[in-house]
Amino acid sequence: MHKRRLRKHPDARLPLATAVLATLFFAGCASAPPPTAQLQAAQQAIASAETTEAGRYAAAELGAARTKLASANAAVTEERMIVAGQFADEARAEAELASAKTANAKAIAVNDDMKRSTGVLVDEMKRSTGGTK
Amino acid sequence: MITRTHTRGIASRTAIAVAVTAALLAGCATAPKPSAGAMNARNKLIQLQSNPELANRAAVAMKDADKAVQAAEMPQKDKAQEQHLALIADRKVDTARALAETALAESQRTALNEQREKARLDSRTEEADSAKLQTAMARADGAAQKLAADQSKADADAARTDAVNSQQQAATLQRQLDEMNAKVTDRGVVLTLGDVLFTSGKADLKAASTGNLNKLAKFLGEYPERTVMVEGHTDNVGSDEYNQALSERRADGVKAYLIGQGVSAVRLTAVGKGKSVAIADNTSAEGRQQNRRVEVVVSNTPIASR
Repeated sequence: MHKRRLRKHPDARLPLATAVLATLFFAGCASAPPPTAQLQAAQQAIASAETTEAGRYAAAELGAARTKLASANAAVTEERMIVAGQFADEARAEAELASAKTANAKAIAVNDDMKRSTGVLVDEMKRSTGGTK
Repeated sequence: MITRTHTRGIASRTAIAVAVTAALLAGCATAPKPSAGAMNARNKLIQLQSNPELANRAAVAMKDADKAVQAAEMPQKDKAQEQHLALIADRKVDTARALAETALAESQRTALNEQREKARLDSRTEEADSAKLQTAMARADGAAQKLAADQSKADADAARTDAVNSQQQAATLQRQLDEMNAKVTDRGVVLTLGDVLFTSGKADLKAASTGNLNKLAKFLGEYPERTVMVEGHTDNVGSDEYNQALSERRADGVKAYLIGQGVSAVRLTAVGKGKSVAIADNTSAEGRQQNRRVEVVVSNTPIASR
């Protein structure tokens, strides 16, 4: 019976489908929440990079992180939440890279310093040896 | 007409074939093939993982990077999402490398510290060695100076010894001359052989009185550079010719005796002075005896410088 009724009124499906699609559409855009956690994570990663003097050792990466965080925030105001989430994730990745590069540069600087001081000792030794001989 | 319709049919069939082929090719192209960005990230990750010094460091970041690369390699309908995932993967691989390199640098500190400590130790040892060396050198210098001092002292000693030797030689000479009753005069050392050597009026030497002459011969053997003048003298008894001849024969006699004792004839000169050089009064027998003599004059200067 039911089957028959549907077959009798095929057009009745159209408004229903339209309503469902519309709901889905609006839900996708208007009511999607902003990627707050991703934005916070990006913000923290940038702050952390800044405390490690990333501005000095990895300025390009830190700059990229800030730019992308700004883009993410802009996307939120434009209600493009997917894009905002992408930018936030990228900002975080850039900030973490900035921190890693900073740590690396500092570690290498420490090692270079140690090598240099050892080299100075060796040089002095050679010079004093050359002097006495 | 018919031909045209036929042609149109062939064309439409060809078009269908092309479309199918294109669809097939398109199907191949959309088969899971990572984006250029994802492939780039994968290559970087492979490089990192195949570096034996870095592969086992920063494990968490390495795992994150691997996950991100895998995610980027998944086919995406959305181009933006594809690019986004590729970028995340790229940054995570870079982060993993930076952290791994940091860990490597930190792991090298122990060795660097040891090297520095060794250098510091070597430096101190070197300083100590250097000081030791300088001390040793100073000591060696001191020893060398002492050696030089010893040498000059030895030289001085040698000179003193030489001086002593020459003094001794002079003393010996003097003693020998004294033994022969020799006198040092301007002409040289004069040895006077008295009348007792000769029988009166004869030139033959008395055998018993050759002691002094033997001493003289020995003396001349020790001083081979000296030449000898043998002078014969007489008293005033008899004629001048007689005395002259007698004095010559006596001088020759002494000369012959000395030659017999091994003195080279070249060094010996015999002259007769007759009665001309008296050393005592001829009026007394005693004086005449003193005048009858042979004087042997040993030159002061060696032959070479004469």
